[in-house]
Amino acid sequence: MTDSFEPKIVGFLCTWCSYTGADTAGISRFKSPWNLRAVRVPCSGRVAPELIMRAFDEGADGVLVLGCHIGECHYDNGNHRTAKRLPVLQTLMSFTGLEPERLRLDWVSASEGERFARIVREFTEDVRALGPCDWRQKVPLSDVEMVGGVR
Amino acid sequence: MTLGSDLQDHAFDLLESGQVSVVIGYEVGPRNRVRPAFVRDKDDVDRLIWNEGCHHNLAVYLREHLKPGDTDCVAVVTKPADSRAINVLLAENAFPRDRVYVIGIACDGEMPVVHDMLLGERGDTPVSDPRADELSRLDGLGPAARLDYWLSHFDRCIRCYACRQACPMCSCPTCLYERDDSLWVGLGTGLDEKRTFHLGRAFHLTGRCVDCNACEEACPVDIPIGLLNRKIADEMSRSFGHRAGLKPVLSPIITILSQEEG
Repeated sequence: MTDSFEPKIVGFLCTWCSYTGADTAGISRFKSPWNLRAVRVPCSGRVAPELIMRAFDEGADGVLVLGCHIGECHYDNGNHRTAKRLPVLQTLMSFTGLEPERLRLDWVSASEGERFARIVREFTEDVRALGPCDWRQKVPLSDVEMVGGVR
Repeated sequence: MTLGSDLQDHAFDLLESGQVSVVIGYEVGPRNRVRPAFVRDKDDVDRLIWNEGCHHNLAVYLREHLKPGDTDCVAVVTKPADSRAINVLLAENAFPRDRVYVIGIACDGEMPVVHDMLLGERGDTPVSDPRADELSRLDGLGPAARLDYWLSHFDRCIRCYACRQACPMCSCPTCLYERDDSLWVGLGTGLDEKRTFHLGRAFHLTGRCVDCNACEEACPVDIPIGLLNRKIADEMSRSFGHRAGLKPVLSPIITILSQEEG
C-alpha cells in the first residue's frame, strides 16, 4: 500500500509569476510530478490561513505556496506579508500535530521554469517520504452542507 | 485603607467631577461570583470591589463604550495584562487615548504599562509558570501525539464563542467564523470546523494577543486556548522581537518586511 502512495499536493500559485512559471516549465519540457493540483491566486498574499487549513481538511498531503521573489510583487508588497505569515501558520499547525514539512513557501518568477519543476519535484518527494497525512484522517468530516454547496 | 476603598474613592471623584461618564470595574454578583460592573452614578461606587477573583479583561468593553462621534470618557480598572491590551487597541486606533482614564492596578509582580493612576503593590512575580511547562511538554511530543492531544480538546468545543467575546482583540463587526456566506470556513460543529475556528482565531491574534488568558478563563469546557496563543507569542518574540502591548505598535505581521528582515 505504501508503495503505491501518491501524495496529493495543493499548490497556490501567484498568477503573475509562479503560475506563468509553471507554463514556462511546460513549454520548456521540464518534467514535474503530476501530484500538484494548481490553484491560481492573484497574489501569494491572498492565501489566507483558512485556505491552507481547508486544503488539509479536504485531504491534501502537502500544500505548496509559490509567489514572486521579494521585491518583485505585482502589488508591491503582498509577498512581504506572506513571508511573515506563513512561518507563523507553520508553527501553529506544527504545534497542533502537522509535520511542518508538509507546508512550504517558495518564490518562483515567470521565467524560472526549471526552478518551478525542481521545487515541485523536491516537495513531492519530501511529502511522499512522510506518507499519508493524519491531519484529515483522524477527523471525521462533518456532513453539514456548506452554504454555496462547496462540500 | 484597602485597595478596594481607594478604588471607590477615586471612582467617586471621577464621577462627581463629570470627568468620566462610567467607571468599568468589578462587583460581586449572584452566588458571590465576581462580575464586571458599570457604575454610572457616584452613589453606586460602593459596588466596586477588588480581589483575586477579578480575572476578566475589562478592556473588552472599551470599544463599545467609546464609539466614534461620542465625546464622553470612560474609566476602566486595569490589570497589567489588560493595560497591554489597551496599548494594542490604541495602536489600532480603536479609540483616542484621552477618552479612556486608566485606573492601573499593579499585581503579580507586574506594573500596568498604560495608566493615569496607579493602585496596589507590585508584589512578587509568581515562581511557577504552569503553561510554559505544558508548552515544553507538548513540544517534546511527536506530531501524532500532539494531533491527538489537540483533537481531544477541540472535540469538546461547542462553538459558544465565549473565548471570542471575552477577548478585547476580537472586534470584527462580523466574525469570519460566524459568516453564513463564507466559502472556506464552516459554521458547523464538525471537528474539522471547530479546529479551523480555534487555529484561525489564534492566527488572527498573532502579534496582538497580550496573554491575559481571558479566553481560557471564559471557556466552559476548559480548552487550553491560551497555549495556542502563547505558542504564537513565543514565535513572534523569537522571529520579530515583538511582545504585544508593551508599546502601542501594530503587529509586525501586518506590516511589510523591513530592511533587516528582507
